[in-house]
Amino acid sequence: MSTEDRTTGPARQSNRSGPVVAITRWMENLGETGFAYLLLTPVMLLLGAVALYPLLRTFELSLYQNVLSDPEFVGLENYAQLLTGTADSRFPGSTTFLPGVSTSGSFPFVHFEGLLRSALAVTIIFTVVSVFFETIIGFGQALVLDQEFRGRRWVRAAIIIPWAIPIVIQGMIFYLMFHPSAGFLTGPLSDWGIIAGSNTLNDPFSSLLIITVADIWKTTAFMALLILAGLQSIDRSLYDVAKVAGASKWQQFRYITFPLVLPALGIAILFRTIDAMRIYGLIDSVSGCTTVPSLSCMVVATFDTNRGLAAAVAFVTAGIIGIAVLGVIYQQYREGF
Amino acid sequence: MTTASEPAEQSTDEMGPLERWTHGVVNEPEKRKRLYRALFYVAAAFFLVTTLFPFYWLLVLALTPSGAITRGDWNVTVPLLGEIPFPTPQGFNVASFVEVFQQVPFHLYVFNSFVLATATTVIVLILASLAGYVFGRLEFPGRGLMMLGILAVSYFPPAAFLIPLFDAFLGNAVVVPFLGIELFEPPRLVNTPGSMIMPFSALFLPLAIFILTTFYAQIPDGLEDAARVEGTTRLGALFRVIMPLSAPGVATAAVLTFIAVYNEYFFSSIMALQNQPEQWSPLVGGILSYQTQYTTDFNLMAAASIVGVLPMLILVVVAQEKIVSGLTDGALKE
Repeated sequence: MSTEDRTTGPARQSNRSGPVVAITRWMENLGETGFAYLLLTPVMLLLGAVALYPLLRTFELSLYQNVLSDPEFVGLENYAQLLTGTADSRFPGSTTFLPGVSTSGSFPFVHFEGLLRSALAVTIIFTVVSVFFETIIGFGQALVLDQEFRGRRWVRAAIIIPWAIPIVIQGMIFYLMFHPSAGFLTGPLSDWGIIAGSNTLNDPFSSLLIITVADIWKTTAFMALLILAGLQSIDRSLYDVAKVAGASKWQQFRYITFPLVLPALGIAILFRTIDAMRIYGLIDSVSGCTTVPSLSCMVVATFDTNRGLAAAVAFVTAGIIGIAVLGVIYQQYREGF
Repeated sequence: MTTASEPAEQSTDEMGPLERWTHGVVNEPEKRKRLYRALFYVAAAFFLVTTLFPFYWLLVLALTPSGAITRGDWNVTVPLLGEIPFPTPQGFNVASFVEVFQQVPFHLYVFNSFVLATATTVIVLILASLAGYVFGRLEFPGRGLMMLGILAVSYFPPAAFLIPLFDAFLGNAVVVPFLGIELFEPPRLVNTPGSMIMPFSALFLPLAIFILTTFYAQIPDGLEDAARVEGTTRLGALFRVIMPLSAPGVATAAVLTFIAVYNEYFFSSIMALQNQPEQWSPLVGGILSYQTQYTTDFNLMAAASIVGVLPMLILVVVAQEKIVSGLTDGALKE
């Protein structure tokens, strides 16, 4: 960063001397490779300090207990405790952390024996459901925005706005919409048996549902914009050919639009999946990490009291997202994108 | 809309109205076109209502006095349908927008957000310009690998970086992982802008780099060479020729970074330890303090949310082209 003040008045420096001139001359005489590495140094330093170092250090910390007072190397003990569920008691509010399957049967498909399992389940259910609906609704929005009509600019702005609002306000909106004493939707929806009528935001199933809807509301726009970009890169003359050949609108969609937009769709789904798996802020502002524990939630809930255990969760989180990234990329590669 | 597109003529007398209409849609292109048009307007209206309704709900809550909210009678009598749950303002209590700033120094939180977002945007633009120049205009070994590495950073969840960063920002010594060598003792950065600007910059740098790489690569070599013949250094050419010529790209990266920082939750809620404005707690802290301290003032929560959302509404309306192109370029070009 300090390099750019050295460029002031460069042309007149040739017959002056001093450290600035010396450094400028040294930089000008660097080869292309050397110059490239020099310019990348600040970026790499920042990413190294804020991303690479913490990632490695998190892994190291996950192998220790009592990190703050008396560090003791315990190998994979923290991971073992996480997997077997013996660490559950060390998470705050761990009794409500486990959405009780045996008591209320909220999640019929998943067995919540340990905290890691419930966090995994919450994260994966949230990711799959929200990305699925975002893809479908986003496709619909993109098809609408792809048309020419008066006021298109304003419709597009309206669709983008949810994407651009702060997570904490998104959370607040849905908190207010479903809070038992303020929200207007809690009454009717609980009459239909969709969500719990009282303590709605402390009920794991209701909260997860509300959080998923909130996420779909906010991030569908991102999906729509990426799909729209894919739609607009399609050669319009293909449609003229199709019309001459007598293809119906549905056939045009089925044989031209859909296959040609598929690569953009794949990338959009990839980005959203990775992003959705980090879910934390929305949960924290709508409901709370003790009700709907996501993976990131568990890190935040424990890092102040138990660094080693929190680091283990953090590393597992990073690993799972890493696997998701590799898995989706491999899938894309195999399908020939 | 089925009734609206019903055919008027009685060509097929023996058919019922629905059958006749279906027949018309299948056989006559003109009617089919009208159906598609109607479907399109229904879809557009549906998307408009679903995206904008939550904001209407905020406005209803902000204008309704606190007591009327907790009474919770949102039903509206509609002819034919009877009572349906649809919120309308029960009162016109504009005072809540003033009260928002009196209960909590909300303006300070918003101010903090603006300072953090602006500072991060400046840092990101400078660093991403350097990297964008390198990736867009220079050939060197390791280029692809480094871009992949930067991309990988943006994939990882902030939770994976939190613990060591928090330790370092508390002022604990930075230790080389696995070697146990203490490097240095950093200054205590929690409750200062630094503890947020550093992680923000790293998190949002990759997107800015990819946007600027695309734009800087498109500037013809001749323009850079001309500046160099005039005696400008390579860095001078970057900041005086390439960057100004790529103004749309720079603006795109700036808008997206600003929005991202203003909207960030994770580090914003953790690095200011008590969510106080004196600790540089941004918007997140202001909104959450209403949720935790004034638990029944729902009208104030709504008013605070409206105030907090206004800058983003304006930004989206003004800069929507930039947002659209930036998001799609950042994701699709690489």
